[in-house]
Amino acid sequence: MSDPGNAAVASESDASTLDEAEAGEPEQDDGAEPNADDADAAEGAGDAVEGTSDATEGAGEADEGAGEAAERASETPTDRERRREVATDRWLGIAGAALALVGLGVLVRQPSLVLSGAVGVGYAVYARAGDAPTPTLSVTRSVSDEAPAPGDEVRVTVRAENVGETALPDLRLVDGVPPGLAVVDGPARVATALRPGTAVTFEYTVRAARGDHEWEPLTAITRDAAGARERETTLDAPTAIACTPELSAGGDLPLRGLTTVHHGRVPTDVGGSGVEFHATREYRRGDPLKRIDWNRRARTGELSTVELREERAATVVLLVDARESAYVAADPDAETAVEASVAAAGQAFSALLDGGDRVGVAALSPLDCWLPPGSGTVHAARGRETLATDPALAPTPSGERFYRSLWLRRFRRRLPADAQVLFFTPLVDDTAATLARRIDAHGHLVTVLSPDPTTTETAGRRLTTFERRQRLRTLRSAGIRALEWGDDSFPVAVAAATRRWSR
Amino acid sequence: MSGEDAESRASDGDDAFVDFHETDARPPTVAIVASLAAAGVAATAALVASPTGGALLGVAALGFLAGSLRSSTRVLTWGAAVGVVGLALAGYRGAPAEPLLVAAIGLAVAWDVADHGVGLGEQVGRGARVRRNVAVHAGASLLVGALAAGLVYGVSLAVGGGQPVAALALLLAGGIALISALR
Repeated sequence: MSDPGNAAVASESDASTLDEAEAGEPEQDDGAEPNADDADAAEGAGDAVEGTSDATEGAGEADEGAGEAAERASETPTDRERRREVATDRWLGIAGAALALVGLGVLVRQPSLVLSGAVGVGYAVYARAGDAPTPTLSVTRSVSDEAPAPGDEVRVTVRAENVGETALPDLRLVDGVPPGLAVVDGPARVATALRPGTAVTFEYTVRAARGDHEWEPLTAITRDAAGARERETTLDAPTAIACTPELSAGGDLPLRGLTTVHHGRVPTDVGGSGVEFHATREYRRGDPLKRIDWNRRARTGELSTVELREERAATVVLLVDARESAYVAADPDAETAVEASVAAAGQAFSALLDGGDRVGVAALSPLDCWLPPGSGTVHAARGRETLATDPALAPTPSGERFYRSLWLRRFRRRLPADAQVLFFTPLVDDTAATLARRIDAHGHLVTVLSPDPTTTETAGRRLTTFERRQRLRTLRSAGIRALEWGDDSFPVAVAAATRRWSR
Repeated sequence: MSGEDAESRASDGDDAFVDFHETDARPPTVAIVASLAAAGVAATAALVASPTGGALLGVAALGFLAGSLRSSTRVLTWGAAVGVVGLALAGYRGAPAEPLLVAAIGLAVAWDVADHGVGLGEQVGRGARVRRNVAVHAGASLLVGALAAGLVYGVSLAVGGGQPVAALALLLAGGIALISALR
């Protein structure tokens, strides 16, 4: 109320209303655009003069008797932040129309016209009389399930009680649904009128998606009874849900021949103990008896030893492309390539971990995300949490800028020397392909796993599909393994591709 | 545009879940219905007094319907302008005060509720619960119109019908000056 910025905005629009009326313009000739312009202009002003009176009001509340505190706990007004107050200019021109009717009545000597003009004057007074109230609301938001599984429907109930002294003749509430959640039933909005002491409750349903989701503040828009002034306020009612998918076990994932010295499942070109034949060599003292080639001994009389392929464990880093450009989907309702990548990375994570490999997680994203390779149950839990809730892998892009060379330098510094990389990317731009080749060139063998977000409906889309194919082809000719999966599931695509690949 | 509207409205009843979109920015049905009712009352009242004026108010009602369906405040404003012209024409043809006052209130309420509905559509959308909001807004608008009309009609009766029109206008000007001074 007391802040000068709001008053300035209000008086300015008052002046414009008067100007219009005096110019005798009978009707507001352009309803929508001036409103929008006003709103934009006032938004800037409103941001600059966000009210400070909240703090003093809060202090006033605190002075009240402590005995009542518990009783009043449910009625405490929610913290609010005033955004802007604007004139909607809805009634612009009403005074002009009224005066035109009165003037015509005087000219043609018809008292009934003067009377109906007087009604218009009544509305003009009504439009200028009110002031948009600042809502004092107590907002509570409850969710039916704070830790849902992906795809579960979560019922959200919002209750707003008018705990202030003033009636709110026109109150619109728009809930700040987290950007990663889709509202599937009932809009998260309501419009109502609240007397002091009354409350409004509205419900809606969101479909849970992977990640930590925090609700943004509730926006309350109040207008005076005539709707000539509008005030926007945000009300802070923190709510969060965390949705952590179980890692489904994926099939066998073929790795490339870069391994650690530890035993594992990846067949190598090193002769030793194992199950698959590799070579024979001359007998040396101390070779185990069961690996001596007795057939040859019987045939030629020489002792020789059979070498088997050693099976070793690998260190694998799952790299998920989560740059803004990777948030693409075949159609607006489909899951994005990042979602598909994260789901596939989850399957690969559990499959590799079960196979005894050391697995880490990294994101190609403006935000930092790095889980060093490791093994064991604690590491499995940590990986599951990283894939589910890391901000860098959030279901919606972070909006920050991505610096490729900085990222690559940091990534290479962290990457263990014997680590190979499984790179999950939709390959929708050249950056991803270039990065894959550069990481591969640095000796960390790369396998590109690419969810296919392209469609073939229009010529432009077909061109994108073709470009992506071309990138895959270039990668393959550079000796990088690449597999893509579209409608069929990731394990099926892996099984199909494995048959093609040699070790 | 309106064809699409009609189509999606037809499917509204069948399965709200399938048709549900968070961004259904059309005005709520209750606002459109209330606006049309008020515009209907206005047109009927004007038709009693003067057929031409009544016809123009009917056109205004159609304008309100079109503006609501297209979510366009500009069309609504044009509708209101046509309505005011209709009022002026009816008064010029010598319509009696009572139906003209009813028509004026009806026109104002109809435009107000339709415009309010468009604003609601933009901010909360059609799917939201808005009945109470629209009822309060329409009620307040009707009350203001009725009070203003009652006041001026009562005054004009009290001072007697025989006064010259200029005296009425001067009385009104005095009233406006008084209100401006009070504010």
